[in-house]
Amino acid sequence: MSELERELEQELHRVLDAVAARPIPLRRAVHPRVGLRALVGGAGAALAVKVLTGVAVAAAAVTVAGAATTGSLNPAVWGQAVSDQVVKCKQQVANSSQHGIGDCVSSFASQHGAAVSSAARHNGNGNPNGNGQANGNGSSNGNGNANGHSKDKSKDHTAPPKTSSTSIPTFDPEPIDQVNTHPPVTISPEP
Amino acid sequence: MQSSELEGAEPAARQAETERYEPGSDADFERLYRNTYRRIVGTLITIVRDVSTAEDCAQETYERAYRGWAKWRPDAPVEAWLHRIAINVAISDRRYQRLRQAGEVIRRLGRPAPGADPAVVAERSVMVQALKKLPPKQAAALVLRHYHGYTNREIAAALDVPEQTVASRLAAARKHLQVVLGS
Repeated sequence: MSELERELEQELHRVLDAVAARPIPLRRAVHPRVGLRALVGGAGAALAVKVLTGVAVAAAAVTVAGAATTGSLNPAVWGQAVSDQVVKCKQQVANSSQHGIGDCVSSFASQHGAAVSSAARHNGNGNPNGNGQANGNGSSNGNGNANGHSKDKSKDHTAPPKTSSTSIPTFDPEPIDQVNTHPPVTISPEP
Repeated sequence: MQSSELEGAEPAARQAETERYEPGSDADFERLYRNTYRRIVGTLITIVRDVSTAEDCAQETYERAYRGWAKWRPDAPVEAWLHRIAINVAISDRRYQRLRQAGEVIRRLGRPAPGADPAVVAERSVMVQALKKLPPKQAAALVLRHYHGYTNREIAAALDVPEQTVASRLAAARKHLQVVLGS
């Protein structure tokens, strides 16, 4: 052993033995690491929550979009909206060379039909055909007209017959009979 | 160094190697900690800059060892395995040493006059200071050989290098140490 090695050994023992003789401290606690499975599970759970939230938001957006078409899903309000649209369409026709307001009103009505159909589908009580009958109370003529125009459009009637080209469809409310104003009707059986 | 000198110098290290440990057993790991802590700290003191850092590195060593405890193979020398982890921890600590130096200076300004604390004695030792100036793996080889009394083969197992590498590393370390002490 060289002089350096002997000196090194003695010095290391002199110094380090004293340090090593000190009390041994408590071992530091080891916190378990989060496992990969837990991470994936957590991420999967978070993803599921996000997907469900997305579906809910999408459903809400469809409902809002449907309401935004007229401002309300109420058929009575819809009837008023159609009346307003007819006025607008008349003005458009007057300012252009287009004949009739059928296409103009039809496009507006088809928007409402699709919106109401989607809303009804998401509410779980509607007709998925999207014919505007999802609300089912039938209190508005507007609904019926919307369906009719929508079907006509699908047939691509770009040139409607001229037989009544000057007649403009009206949306006046149907007359309502007052109570007790008509005599009772009796129908006799045919021989 | 003679083999008889080696065997007489470190009975505790030899005893630790003959102890039986069950991988993954918490009780056995706690026993391993009690049996080896002082020697691990002794090795770390010569590599890192002070005793408190050596103690921190020792705790980090046992944390890492605990995470791999279930995978440890009983046929491998357990203390060599611990020393390998400890030296890696010390090397990592040295890399960040410069970043800590500014804060250390501020901390020491308020420190009272040192007494006969063994830690302070160790920090002031010329030999320990010289060892700290060596590359960590060279310092570790010297300490494992001349303080713990490991053979070159055991050091090779601890550092996971060929035995020939240990011999050349020890030779380089002695030469380097002479230069540092002579300057």
